[in-house]
Amino acid sequence: MNRRVGSPAKYRFEDRFLFFIVPLFVLDGVLGFWGFHYHHLHPAGALAVVCAALQSSPIIAFIVIIALYLAEENDEFQKSILVQSMLWAIGVTLAVATFCGSMEKYSQGPRVDIASVQFLFFIVMIIAIGANRWRYR
Amino acid sequence: MFCTTSSPEQRRWVRSCWMSAAIVVPLVIGAALAFRLYHLHGVAAYAVAVLPTLPILWVLAELGRYLAVEKDEFQRNVLIQCVLGGTGGTLATTTIWGYLEDFARAPHLDLVYVYPIFWLFVLVSYPVVTLRYK
Repeated sequence: MNRRVGSPAKYRFEDRFLFFIVPLFVLDGVLGFWGFHYHHLHPAGALAVVCAALQSSPIIAFIVIIALYLAEENDEFQKSILVQSMLWAIGVTLAVATFCGSMEKYSQGPRVDIASVQFLFFIVMIIAIGANRWRYR
Repeated sequence: MFCTTSSPEQRRWVRSCWMSAAIVVPLVIGAALAFRLYHLHGVAAYAVAVLPTLPILWVLAELGRYLAVEKDEFQRNVLIQCVLGGTGGTLATTTIWGYLEDFARAPHLDLVYVYPIFWLFVLVSYPVVTLRYK
């Protein structure tokens, strides 16, 4: 039995993730696949802005819950792991985006959708959290 | 950003920011000229496209180092919150713009603008964060 006991801040972070971020991701997935790809909906004008804002709502919510976690967490070590992971994620994301942007600008690479930046950030962040935990295990 | 720099760590961090900005400009111009004049392809094109990303990685490595060595908890928290603001703002802007490109045929935003957008949001976050502690 290797069950670790987390801090109350961590439990709150997990609860917020489960009850806010996951439903927003599901909503985005449903809207994206069912609405835009299956039914080929093409919102225009203000509705397009609302749909675009809705698609970015999980990111904003995620950043807000990270900020809340950092404010509530008393364990400096846990906080530093999250901050380091975030720095890695933003560093890799900015470097890859600049590299791909340069290649695209000079017609050497494919056209990359700017909305994919968020996916890159989250993938690197998950890898960085795993790597940092493994480093300090 | 740090008009009243006091600690040596802060001074080093601010110096790194300025040096990175000073290095990235000639690298971007150099890369653009190299592509335009020599019509680079293959490995050479990849190598030249990587050059402008090096100061970006350096300044973020310096940011990580500064956060690790800064003893003033308040200054560290302010900077972390600014970086969070920058990250959130950048991801939200790129996602909204990306979907607007799909839905409303908004003009294509080059990925090279992601880096300036990030620092713009960090700068905007700074007065907002410090205002909270006044």
